[in-house]
Amino acid sequence: MDRRSFLTAAGATVSVSFAGCAGLGGSDEASTEASNTDESTASGTSTGDTGGPDETLVVGTYSAFVDSPSTSPGAWVKQRFEEEFDARLIWQTPSNEVNHYIERRNAGVDIEADMYLGLNTDHLVRVDENLDDGLFADVGDVAGQDDIKPGLQFDPDGRAIPYDTGYISLVFDGTATTAPDTFDSLLAEEHAGDLITQNPASSATGRAFLLHTVKQFGPDGYLDYWSDLQDNDVRVLGSWSDAYSAWSGDEAPMVVSYSTDQVFADQNDANLEEHQIRFLNDQGYANPEGMAVFDGADTPDLAREFMGFLLRPEIQGEIAVRNVQFPATESADLPEDYAELAQEPPEPVTFGYNELKGSVSGWISDWERQFASN
Amino acid sequence: MARDLDGGADDSDSDDSEKATEAASSPSRKRGRIVRDTIERWGLVGLAVATIGLLLGIFYYPVATVFIDSVLVDGRWTGRVFVSILQDPFYFGEPGRLLAGEPVGAVIESVLSPDRRLGVIGFTAYQAALSTVASVALGLPAAYLLARYEFPGRRTLRSLTILPFVLPSIMVGVGFVATFGRNGTLNAVLGALGLGEVKLLFTLEAVVIAHAFYNAPLVARVTTAAWESVDASAVETARSLGASPFRAFRDVVAPQLYPSVLMGAALTFVFTFSTFPIVLALGGFQLATVEVFVYRLIRDLEYAEAAALALIELGISLGLLYAYLQYEARHTVQSRGIRPLPRRPLRPPSLSVRELLPRMGLAVYALVALAVFVAPIASMIVASFSGPEGLTLANYQFLIDRQTTGASFQVQPWDAVRNSLLFGVASLAVALPMGVVVAVLTTRDYRGRKLVDAVAMAPLAVSGIVVGLGLLRGLVFGVEVGGSHFAVGGGLAIVAAHAVAGYPFVVRTVAPGLESIDHTLVESARALGAPRARALLDIELPLVWPAVIAGAAFTFAISIGEFSATIVLASGTNQFTMPIAIERFIGRRLGPATAMGVVLLVVTSASFLLIDRLGGDEVGF
Repeated sequence: MDRRSFLTAAGATVSVSFAGCAGLGGSDEASTEASNTDESTASGTSTGDTGGPDETLVVGTYSAFVDSPSTSPGAWVKQRFEEEFDARLIWQTPSNEVNHYIERRNAGVDIEADMYLGLNTDHLVRVDENLDDGLFADVGDVAGQDDIKPGLQFDPDGRAIPYDTGYISLVFDGTATTAPDTFDSLLAEEHAGDLITQNPASSATGRAFLLHTVKQFGPDGYLDYWSDLQDNDVRVLGSWSDAYSAWSGDEAPMVVSYSTDQVFADQNDANLEEHQIRFLNDQGYANPEGMAVFDGADTPDLAREFMGFLLRPEIQGEIAVRNVQFPATESADLPEDYAELAQEPPEPVTFGYNELKGSVSGWISDWERQFASN
Repeated sequence: MARDLDGGADDSDSDDSEKATEAASSPSRKRGRIVRDTIERWGLVGLAVATIGLLLGIFYYPVATVFIDSVLVDGRWTGRVFVSILQDPFYFGEPGRLLAGEPVGAVIESVLSPDRRLGVIGFTAYQAALSTVASVALGLPAAYLLARYEFPGRRTLRSLTILPFVLPSIMVGVGFVATFGRNGTLNAVLGALGLGEVKLLFTLEAVVIAHAFYNAPLVARVTTAAWESVDASAVETARSLGASPFRAFRDVVAPQLYPSVLMGAALTFVFTFSTFPIVLALGGFQLATVEVFVYRLIRDLEYAEAAALALIELGISLGLLYAYLQYEARHTVQSRGIRPLPRRPLRPPSLSVRELLPRMGLAVYALVALAVFVAPIASMIVASFSGPEGLTLANYQFLIDRQTTGASFQVQPWDAVRNSLLFGVASLAVALPMGVVVAVLTTRDYRGRKLVDAVAMAPLAVSGIVVGLGLLRGLVFGVEVGGSHFAVGGGLAIVAAHAVAGYPFVVRTVAPGLESIDHTLVESARALGAPRARALLDIELPLVWPAVIAGAAFTFAISIGEFSATIVLASGTNQFTMPIAIERFIGRRLGPATAMGVVLLVVTSASFLLIDRLGGDEVGF
């Protein structure tokens, strides 16, 4: 009977796949490592060593750093680092990002990564608000730390150090509108329905834009500003890609995005007139991205060497181009046209750790309650 | 129901007659039969115990680990979190104020006032109700067309109706912007016809249409199956007794369709009640639903409030499902129907008004279906072949490059396809027996079985992220039992999550079929000595086989399309599925993601055609 043979076949498949899954899934680190072993053995022989590399560095990061469809620095950084240091670099990209490690620490499960790359200020606040014992170790001595631009350092406790930064700004289609210069003129009737931004609870750009309004109008005034903005038909969509694709589809001429937008547009021969940048009140909200070593890491010294490596001028320049962000150091080697296309705000603004801790959740939650009240 | 009670009584009778038959046969044959009988008799019990154990292990225990957070705060049991949500007008609208102890009169006054607040929960229910109405309105004509007309490609179309169900919301968002946006296809067509422009995006209407895109196929599919199982002779009898075609439809056909239509509606409501990515992509945050807040609270690790909200969400959905199950129990039509209604040719046999009118209606419907279902999918396909300089294969080249030269830590397209199929087949292999066993258990007769049924349906109403988080904490991180540590790998946990999400569909498609089987058939088999398990395998399942296949298709579809639990559980690129690959391939340009979306479309279309072919030639109970 067809039915019997189908069920038998399905049954056989499931037992095989269960065995397969159990093999793959024991732990993510193990599986990542397993799949990387072949690769590293190959590179080990090519460098002509007698044995394999001495040490392994496991770095947790967000997926776009290693796996975005355009360019991403991950593969390049891995290759350069492994060539120079006698070590193996393994990227780990848990989809829950920092939450993954908080969850593991909370559950008392071993964290197999040595460090995390891509930490921002509110991640750090979340870590500290949810873990009593802490997740990261003191950063200690890292070469090149002194080259970091003043004002980007965001951890008063000296655990995280920045490796790049983005400035959140308006991106507008210059063939359809001219973006206003100030927050107040964004409320003008001619810009009704012109702006798309993102949900501050789930999107870094949306959060930065909300925090910028808190910076501008204060914790007591930003909700009034948003009320006016809502009256002027601002759109808050879910994610950066929701917003950016709606903007690309001409649903509205302005979107909250990064001031490096033209770098990417230029790489794809897009019309730069349609990718104009505007800093409201001549300010851009800075969103520095940092790195930190996990408390209890297997190879903390190698992790610090890696951090120093990332802060070198040539590496900083390459990460900036491939990650479409600004370098964190003054000394980065950037290509000639980078400064023309990637615009830095006359006045960068941002909230530090101490200002966000204990406040950021409340600001977002109050905003949500006002904006979505039905 | 009297029939069920009789059936129960007959069960013990047939056991007696079984023994009598056994006593008459020779001792050695008797021993052999006793062994086989024992296996077959206890087989079903064993499967039932295994199913219940599995459900406890991969659903109730893990999900409970999350929900416990809402009542156990800082080591103390408390109802505080629930109370504060229930009293909060932000969540519960004006009734929340009533629970907060405000005077009844004042609350009633504000409910009647024009600026009353629905609250997030009220609004979520409101949009779910609208979405349900739209889905039923769009699904029924499709069921009518598929069940009552014959035309080339009907079976293929029928198989593919499930396709919208699996499309990731990201892709649907892309397709909808391209179709209904300011510069979209719809406005281009309206402009060409000299009609005004419509502004649909970022409105509740856009969200409702997108929900109909997802759920109308569900309504269509279950209703088609019911319509095809209507017995032609009953209609013929009614007609021969002088009933008009309309009267025959109203009195004979329609009552057999109501349970399916309502089931489609109930499921649509439950799904759209716990929706969120479509709302945020096409509507905007001002239309935020409960699930948006569940997600955000979980992301911020505020589990107490998140779990409480998710439980309230679950309570509402389960209440509705329970009400439906009560209705279903009262309205199952027993049928021996083996001869389905004959299908009419789509090309009208004559030019009479009676032949032309319904076909003109279908033509109008076809235009609507073209706009709602075909255009968004077509837009997505077109986008995958488009680049800055027009037509290009660059997006597919990207997929090939990523496959051939991508690093091991990057998502590879083929691996995603393979994982999706593997997880799909594996979860099918778990969900299908589970679903059939639960269907059998819930069609037995005992007090409170509808409650058991509703409890078994709970996975439909628990959000994917709660299931994912529960499995992560409960199984992947492991549990200490008697000093040993038990942990389950991420891949297994993904299969568990998919199977748990899918098996209720097997139950809901198979149970009504089992219930409507003429019980004398089973009783005769048992009187002739067949144990319960054999009667199920040889008599009941073949009779409801199309329903089993329909449930299998849904289970597979859910596995392919599942995102939120998978993303929580997948612990490396070697466990990423097609929807996750699509999400990873999104950048400033959507090309690579849409190309991966087309791969998903092709792979799943082929799978559904295959699954439906397993259903045998003609469908009908």
